[in-house]
Amino acid sequence: MKERLVTTVNGRRIERYVDPSMRLVDFLRDELLLTGTKIGCKQGECGACTIIMNGTAVLSCIMPVMKAMDAEILTIEGLEKDGKLHPIQDEFIKGGAIQCGFCTPGFIMGAKALLDENPSPTSEEVREELSGHICRCTGYKKIEDAVLKAAERLREEKDD
Amino acid sequence: MTKYVGKNIPRLDGYDKATGRGLYTTDIYLPHMLHAAVLRSPYAHAKVISVDVSEAEKMEGVVAIATKDNTPRTYFNATASMFLTNLPDKPVLDQQIFSDVVRYIGDEVAAVAAETEAIAKEALKKIKVVYEELPAVYNVDDAMKDGAPQVQPDFSPGNNVCGGVVKIRYGDAEANWDKGEVFAETKVYMQRIKQAQLETHGAVADYNPKGHLKVYSTTQTPYPAKMILATIFDMPASNVHVKNPPYVGGGFGVRIGLSAKAEAIASALSILAKRPVKYIYSRSEDFLTSDSRHEGYIVSKISAMKDGTFVALDTRAYMNTGAYATLGVELAGVTGANGTSGAYRFPNIHYDGYVIYTNQETAGAFRGFGAPQGAFALETCVDQLAKQLGRDPLDLRLQNALRDGDEWWFPYPITSCKLMDCLKEAAKSIGWDEKRGKKQTGTIRRGVGIGCGTHVSNGAPFCLDYNAAFMRIEVDGSLLVSSAVPEIGPGSTTGLLQIAADAVGVPMENARFAFGDTDVAPFDVGSHASRTLYSAGYLLVRLAVDLREQIFEWAGKFLDVDPSTLDLVDGQIVSKCDAAEPHIEPTPLSYLAHQAHLRAKQFVVSGCKAPTNSPPFHAHAAEVEVDMETGMIKVLKLAAAHDVGVAVNPILVEGQIESGLIMGLGYALREEMTYQEGKGFYNDSYHKYMLPTMDETPEMESIIVEGFDPDGPFGVKGVGECGMIPTAPAIVGAVEDAIGIRFYEIPLTPGRVLKKIKEVYGD
Repeated sequence: MKERLVTTVNGRRIERYVDPSMRLVDFLRDELLLTGTKIGCKQGECGACTIIMNGTAVLSCIMPVMKAMDAEILTIEGLEKDGKLHPIQDEFIKGGAIQCGFCTPGFIMGAKALLDENPSPTSEEVREELSGHICRCTGYKKIEDAVLKAAERLREEKDD
Repeated sequence: MTKYVGKNIPRLDGYDKATGRGLYTTDIYLPHMLHAAVLRSPYAHAKVISVDVSEAEKMEGVVAIATKDNTPRTYFNATASMFLTNLPDKPVLDQQIFSDVVRYIGDEVAAVAAETEAIAKEALKKIKVVYEELPAVYNVDDAMKDGAPQVQPDFSPGNNVCGGVVKIRYGDAEANWDKGEVFAETKVYMQRIKQAQLETHGAVADYNPKGHLKVYSTTQTPYPAKMILATIFDMPASNVHVKNPPYVGGGFGVRIGLSAKAEAIASALSILAKRPVKYIYSRSEDFLTSDSRHEGYIVSKISAMKDGTFVALDTRAYMNTGAYATLGVELAGVTGANGTSGAYRFPNIHYDGYVIYTNQETAGAFRGFGAPQGAFALETCVDQLAKQLGRDPLDLRLQNALRDGDEWWFPYPITSCKLMDCLKEAAKSIGWDEKRGKKQTGTIRRGVGIGCGTHVSNGAPFCLDYNAAFMRIEVDGSLLVSSAVPEIGPGSTTGLLQIAADAVGVPMENARFAFGDTDVAPFDVGSHASRTLYSAGYLLVRLAVDLREQIFEWAGKFLDVDPSTLDLVDGQIVSKCDAAEPHIEPTPLSYLAHQAHLRAKQFVVSGCKAPTNSPPFHAHAAEVEVDMETGMIKVLKLAAAHDVGVAVNPILVEGQIESGLIMGLGYALREEMTYQEGKGFYNDSYHKYMLPTMDETPEMESIIVEGFDPDGPFGVKGVGECGMIPTAPAIVGAVEDAIGIRFYEIPLTPGRVLKKIKEVYGD
């Protein structure tokens, strides 16, 4: 039994008939082929599937697809604007915050939601807020540094 | 002067990975593709009497079911050791896709390919299996007893010892033992831990009935994976194509060879279904049915003079390798070699390594490959000796640490060694002199500890190691380099291109690396043994010499100058600085390559080369805080000083060190796979396996001790695994400094620590 879903993903209005038992991550990946959002556990435990829905970071692997009805969704694919990387993406690349890269989209989306909400987080706030994301490669230090640097850049851009 | 080597070039795959464009195996969707699910044994040891798939086959959407009755029965070893074991040793081939006997809870019994994953999983429930349960054995000591259940009777007749006892002998430990005056002995126990890389094992196999098999895979060794698959399915290796897509979501050793059995199962189903089949391990399958780190115990004895000089080392390691050999035998060698015997001046060494089969999940390669276990054992014993001698543990290490020019037992020389500097730098960073041995009272107590070690820059000579590659100048003067190294995370492909661009003399932005694909790129052993940058780089710098010669020879004729006066700098053909005047006008390589092309000439070289080996050295120091009321340990700081020769890309090197530090912290304090008899391992998810998270990351200082290795390309040595090795010894030593209690068993969970505190200090 399929249900009608209307949602907006990366600024594009999407209308589809979907299996309502589907998780949002499967809709994004299998149906829309937005494979930038990763599945690390499918149990809401690693943060790799993090996307932004209506301004909040959510775990798309445990989110029923119908929760996306009339929502504004931003995935990693929607972050680069007019060929320009978002400062968080840029700082992750420059700062060595990426290794295997499988956790990266989730981390970047989590960091974006954090900085949208709190443009001047302390080191502790970054660590606290992003501690739901697992990275097995980096040791986290360079991720923390990249988020703090991106925050600084975003504040400067706002001031300009 | 290098333009790229030594510089923090942002990694070349950063853009793909930060934008979601980078493809991983799980992102591969092929037309007409089926999805797989696997039926696994609920028993730790049983005969599989029959597998009835008749009901499952009838389900709508089920396309193929693979069992022991319709798949090859070829024996193989799912790891690269199948093709990398050195002569005259033979690899242990004790695995089949599906076997008549299941040997651990989770062992594969059947697999279904269906239109959707949900249908495949549903079909598993309709497969009827008749088992005959067999007695099982779960730990090393029980498995070594007379009359113990036999896990692999065909491969370890009578004793469950996998692949024979691994022995290392140097000098004569027995004859010289009594020349020592002080004797230390420790026995340490280490737990099983899991790689827990972010991307689970997976493969998409696409079999063409004309006899060609293409497999997208999470392997960290594409060529060995291809060779294993060709053997299993009795196909010409030239008809098997293994490809990373090109990214792999972490490795840490767990997919040296096949990714558990993902490629074999997806391929078996694709051959039956004649359609592409995708099989992605669930997180639970990844935790419970792929290689882990060996648990076990090690008894170490040191004989030393009263002045602290080491006389002899005697080590016996007993490691639980689980149901199948995979890389267990090689691992026992490294435990004895790099783990226990590598970093100190021991004129006499006796090592026996026992790798024991049990009815548990297989243990195999995991970053450090036995060296973290060996280092924990040895460093515990060195600390013990320091205590007996009344010596500062740092001081005792400095006295016995290896240095440049020393002889050692390895079959290759110490090409460069800055271990002394590493020890001093790590100690300085942690504040050793001010903090060590300060009497602590109260609830929160602090201490510092130190550990050191060595590792390898590739697998040689313990296992086969070489690379093949080609380099060519494209018609526009850009450089294409190709060797089938994988990119599993460290940034090897960026570092190698830095090396190639510098060695050839072209701008890096005009250079590209084709990798991770056996149809596109020449042979590479794969990413293991901290080898990729060192071994592939070793070949690339040599190929660059040939390529430049070829260019100069043609350019000499074309420009009518003596080729030996030419140089290639930043993509321009110029006269060597010291060449006699007049110097030629700089000629762009782009122009030259195009002119060559118009005259039917391309600059292209290929070759293969086995590298030597160069030992990296390292020392870690830790500062911890122990809560006497809760048993909680907080690591305040980790200082890691590494002699990795030249750091090609310092930020990437730091990344490797920091990565190992946090993994080592998890090993020391919290990660543990816990077995429940009759149920299997408890830890089937991230939630049940306590990985370190961002909020617990301590202050970390990575110190790259300046060095240069004469054998390494541009002076580099391996680094990938080193950060994991002396972390646990440093932390456990720091805990002893804080609370006066030495732990001989890791991880130091709060419960374990509190119990001991109560034993020693009372309630």
